[in-house]
Amino acid sequence: MEGHFRSAGHLPKQREDGRPASPRDDLPRQRRGSTPQDHGRYPDYDVLEEARHWDPVTRSTVVSRLQAPPLRFLAPEQARTLSMFCDDVLAQDDEPRVPVLAMVDERLHERRFDGYRYADMPEDDETWVRVARGLDEVAGGDYAALGEQERIAIITAFAAGELSGGVWDELPPSRAWSVVMRYVLAAFYAHPWAWNEIGFGGPRYPRGYMRLQPDAVEPGAGAVEAFSRDPVRDTADAGPR
Amino acid sequence: MIRRSLASVAKGAVGPADNDSRYLLDPHRRGVPNVGRMARYADGDLVDLAIVGAGAGGATLAQRLARKGWRVVVLESGPFWDPDRDWVSDEAGAHPIYWTAPRVIGGDDPVELGKNNSGHGVGGSMVHFAGYAPRLHPSDFAVRSRDGVAADWPITYDELRPHYARVEAELPVSGQDWPWGDPHRYTYAAHPISAGAARAKDGARAAGIEMRVGPVAIPSAAFGNRPHCIYRGFCLQGCKVNAKASPLVTHVPDAIEHGAEIRADAHVARVEIDARGRCTGVTYHHGGRERFQRAAAVAIAGYAIETPRLLLNSTSARFPHGLANDHDQVGRYVMVQGAPQVAGRFPELLHMYKAPPPEISSEQFYETDPGRGFARGFSIQTVGPQPIAWAEHVLADGHWGPALREYMRDMNHWFTLGALSELLPVPDNRVTLADETDSHGLRVARMDYTQCDNDRANIAAAKATLHGIWDAADAQDVLTIDRYAHLVGGCRMGARPEESVVDHTHRAWGVPNLYVADGSVMPTQGAANPALTIMALASRLAGLLARKQA
Repeated sequence: MEGHFRSAGHLPKQREDGRPASPRDDLPRQRRGSTPQDHGRYPDYDVLEEARHWDPVTRSTVVSRLQAPPLRFLAPEQARTLSMFCDDVLAQDDEPRVPVLAMVDERLHERRFDGYRYADMPEDDETWVRVARGLDEVAGGDYAALGEQERIAIITAFAAGELSGGVWDELPPSRAWSVVMRYVLAAFYAHPWAWNEIGFGGPRYPRGYMRLQPDAVEPGAGAVEAFSRDPVRDTADAGPR
Repeated sequence: MIRRSLASVAKGAVGPADNDSRYLLDPHRRGVPNVGRMARYADGDLVDLAIVGAGAGGATLAQRLARKGWRVVVLESGPFWDPDRDWVSDEAGAHPIYWTAPRVIGGDDPVELGKNNSGHGVGGSMVHFAGYAPRLHPSDFAVRSRDGVAADWPITYDELRPHYARVEAELPVSGQDWPWGDPHRYTYAAHPISAGAARAKDGARAAGIEMRVGPVAIPSAAFGNRPHCIYRGFCLQGCKVNAKASPLVTHVPDAIEHGAEIRADAHVARVEIDARGRCTGVTYHHGGRERFQRAAAVAIAGYAIETPRLLLNSTSARFPHGLANDHDQVGRYVMVQGAPQVAGRFPELLHMYKAPPPEISSEQFYETDPGRGFARGFSIQTVGPQPIAWAEHVLADGHWGPALREYMRDMNHWFTLGALSELLPVPDNRVTLADETDSHGLRVARMDYTQCDNDRANIAAAKATLHGIWDAADAQDVLTIDRYAHLVGGCRMGARPEESVVDHTHRAWGVPNLYVADGSVMPTQGAANPALTIMALASRLAGLLARKQA
């Protein structure tokens, strides 16, 4: 890939096998701030350096996400299964990890639901509990104890709505997939580390943006794409991978 | 002709003569300043009108009638927002501005609610609407006569036209001269557009499609004390700037100044009637207590789900199946628009989260085209997803795990177009009551939705057109999501009580002093975002009521 992001050759649908290249091999490590797993598509960009310019209400909301909340709703064994599931669907295969399940658990504990429930589904908190049980069932007991390939096979079936038996005879898998993924994505992409990874400008209030033209670099929001791995710093022994 | 040329000379300077909201705001803080001196009515006061809901319909109606000297109380279920204090410039943090109390969705094609279409608090859903403010077309009012489907309205476009123009000046709406439907101009010039919108515009032109800038309810120049847009892109999360229009900044300040009370955190449970079947007021929950506000008349403006729910929950010996529901019409013909989105990928960085999502649009495919094989049409608009919405888009195209992360890392190279497909009103697409109850002990709404064949054909054609634009723009990759937008219908207006809930004056059949003043009265929806039409309808209703009283 060599970081030639003007071409689209790195995108899954443009590749013969339909799968992305490994970011660990092709991207530099993050040099400023953090990204999940330290992938550095924007290696010198840290949205949190802007935090002092945000309005205080927004700043406190966003910065508080850096502290993982304690588990209060899910039982430890449910959390173990679901934590592995969340990391799998987000490809969080290494530290540092966004504590997605803890963020989801906080919403379930506070009953901060989204304002609708499918008629053929239980309430969202119960859906999460049943998904935990359903994943363990199809795993033959313990989803988190399976190897990566087996877990990915289960998720592939889950995403396609093709799980059945046990829990899944009562809980429509495609609906359940859409419910849990809505929570997963809302948690992960609310985290400033994920914003660093994708080069997102963050809250930008009250500063806003002044440059709408292509390839614009905003003052104070210099998300510049990496062009290749750094031969000096991105070596195997240059720190955590 | 003279009016038209004056408007064009005065671009950017014309403000409404009879709405001072823009001057009643403070340029240095966002909360509504005159709330401290707002009138307060006692529950026992017989007010002229109790309005349920402080959104596009309710707030506009309150402002108009307060100006006519009516004693008006607006009961709003949600809070009285102070954007400085209550809103954050953040996607996940915007959760409180959406209606997130329990609701049930069913049917073959269930409609996701919450942040997609349901607001909460003073300002209603316009607090989180993107900002598009198009008019309906004249043809929308006679769909049954012209196309043999759906229904005709009991009113015509001409009856709404002056109210469209008036509300456009109040929001105000910015945009290029509008060639579609009833051609018209906007008093405020078009905004600058982003790099991605320029890509879309070029692609559309190459595909033979004209797109114009606007119409968007954000002034492009000074407008009283409302600050200029800062192109932050968080329109769907509530405008912390006060640049984007919502009733909180466009009608509530003027309503308060003329004596209306906006009573927030007041959830109306029932509309009460006397032995003669006339409304006597509303029972509501406030501060942990059940209370009753007396009123000479009641107007419900709770939107397409809560308005039918309130009527269905208001049972009595006279109306055992819900108020104004003698003919089983309440809750029927609820509508959403098909809103597929297709994103295109380009070599340069486009930063689609910058600038308001509503930038350019086209109504070239709005009308029925016999060659397409389905009735009515769709419009095309830009949308600017923030990271969570973009992740939902990527997931919908079938990507999770490493592929999801890769498309997310690529976000800055993408731009997104959406369509609004006019879906037809169907009687079994309806709001009913579920068995479960909310925190007030009131039965919650259930909304069932199933597409008809015409709907599916429309959405497919819209999606193909979006793909055609990105093909013509030489997009390097595309990602597609199917979704819905907006909500109208559920208490439609009509010529006969057997097929509607209210008459052409918004008055409920069978209840002489009960009105419905929101988008639920719309018999059809066109392919236009509904906010402007809801405000124009409320504006017209205010004129009818004021004339009647005089």
